[in-house]
Amino acid sequence: MRSIHWKSLLIGVLIAAIGPSASLRTGYDSAEAQPKKGKDKGKKEEPKKEEPKPEGADEGEIEMGGDEKPAPDQGAAGGAAGAEGGVQEGEIEMEGEGAEPSLEQDTAAASTEAEGPVKATQVTEAKLSWQDIVVVIRKPFLKVRRTELYPFVSTTVNDNIIRHYSVGGQFNYFLTDVLAVGVEGQYYQSEFREPFDLVARQARRLPTVNKYNWSGALDFHYVPVYGKFAVLDKHIITWEAYFTAGIGATESQVVERDKKFPGFKNILITPNLGGSMRFFLFKWLTINMGVRDYMFVDQFEPTERTAAENATAEEAKKHSDGSFINNVMFQIGVSFWFPTSFEYTTFR
Amino acid sequence: MSRMRLFPRWVLFVSVLGVVASLFAAGDARAERRKNPLDDQPAVRHRLLLVKNRFELTPLFESTINADFRHILGGGAKLEYHLSDMLSLGAIGVYSTSLDTGLVEKIVKTLETDPDDMTREPSQGEFNAHLNDMPVHGAAFVSLTPWYGKLAAFSAAFVNFDFYFQAGVSYAQLKSSCGANLCDDANPDPASPMFDNNPNNDPPLNDGTKIGLYLGGGIHVFMNEFIALDLTVRDYAFADNPSGADFNADLAVTDDDSRFLHHLFLGAGISVMLPPGAKRTP
Repeated sequence: MRSIHWKSLLIGVLIAAIGPSASLRTGYDSAEAQPKKGKDKGKKEEPKKEEPKPEGADEGEIEMGGDEKPAPDQGAAGGAAGAEGGVQEGEIEMEGEGAEPSLEQDTAAASTEAEGPVKATQVTEAKLSWQDIVVVIRKPFLKVRRTELYPFVSTTVNDNIIRHYSVGGQFNYFLTDVLAVGVEGQYYQSEFREPFDLVARQARRLPTVNKYNWSGALDFHYVPVYGKFAVLDKHIITWEAYFTAGIGATESQVVERDKKFPGFKNILITPNLGGSMRFFLFKWLTINMGVRDYMFVDQFEPTERTAAENATAEEAKKHSDGSFINNVMFQIGVSFWFPTSFEYTTFR
Repeated sequence: MSRMRLFPRWVLFVSVLGVVASLFAAGDARAERRKNPLDDQPAVRHRLLLVKNRFELTPLFESTINADFRHILGGGAKLEYHLSDMLSLGAIGVYSTSLDTGLVEKIVKTLETDPDDMTREPSQGEFNAHLNDMPVHGAAFVSLTPWYGKLAAFSAAFVNFDFYFQAGVSYAQLKSSCGANLCDDANPDPASPMFDNNPNNDPPLNDGTKIGLYLGGGIHVFMNEFIALDLTVRDYAFADNPSGADFNADLAVTDDDSRFLHHLFLGAGISVMLPPGAKRTP
């Protein structure tokens, strides 16, 4: 007990003497100096011994950045460091950019703490090694129990006769950090592409085309891939890739070849599959983009329409030609997340 | 009653100057303290340089995206030298074959089987013979790799990747084969007195060598230090008339029917980086 008292006293005096500026430097130094040289400071650098690398980390790779934010256990000094570091509310804290714990320091601390009891009870000193450490990389963005509001625009990528543009929105709720359920809706506009005119002019044929008016779906999202990348070797951005599967409905409408004969509309059962990426900019905002395949059996205008045959919309619909369609669309938009922030429930 | 001066004027002036200077100095010191020492540092230290000063040889497969009349599918290779971890020079060459799109299949089966000059529609043979193929195409390019990173898939596979963008010059060898039995109009020029107002029997004029613009963007997903999956979207843009038919409605097929078109391809390949060992940044 006595040894603890004099150490506490010494630490108190040191903190009082050095003041908060030392705390500031500590935050940056620890971020810069990984892996720590610790006791070897000042000594001639020796070849490093190979250490088992943590899962998911490149051996020896160190990420830098200026977004460090104090860990809760860093207390007031850490708070000051965070404030001086310029961390803005809502910015994403990057793993590996903050003041990281040092294995050597932790080992030394553990040894020091162990010294007293060891002497008293003759317990063998336990050495820590990298193998004793379970590395769980903390994600910089949490989604669990959060809601994503995702307005987007999209365009057809696989139809050479008609191109659809849409504005839409998704409303997703994350049951876990990798699984979400949501609803989506889209409103479409269309334009004919060059072959629509060429076929009429060159081959003397009027293409049979349907346009889409709206669609809606119930979707499930799964996030199997996440990662981070550096832009121009300066800024680190985290991102993830996710798959979507859903089912919904689409309304298609016949584009009449001859305006004398009315077209008709179809409501089509529409399963969909897709893959997308999400780039994390703030705790409340991401940029999303991806590709979605909306699949349905569309009903097209019958080839023969005369005054005697398929003249009305009902007759034409009755004798319509069905065809399986993959409406592949590229989507891009900005997601807003609610609540706008989140709390980590585990330590770093 | 005159006031007594406690200090001479110059002492006051020097004191004020001193206070102002010390305030500036304090401000500078504070700004210096506030400056994040990591600001000028690279984002990642001890980074594995997976491309710098290495050759990249990529056997690849390519296919058109959303072609109007004929899908072009082919195999080839890309050779690239990475001058730095961001900049590289390279060339790509692809040999291809072609497949009719669904649009062609739908149109052809409704056309007349034999040429009939009394109708304005082409016969099945005329329509098909005017379409062109692209047996060879390629590009020489400069590539920029501004993004690199790593990803975790299913919390099990951890791999490096980078995104790149390319720009350069494209090359394409186009081929169409309309024989004399179908394209027998010797005077397709609208100004000719023998002009027949029928574009269906005109030569398609959509073959030969084309030079144009090349743009691309893709991703390397590194399996290890020297093998990567290479996925790319490429745009070979050059003057073309894929249908080989009358585009400008002058009832003749001429060079004026060609226009600057984008030929979008999706490519997939396996990149081998040489030498096989990668260095690290400090």
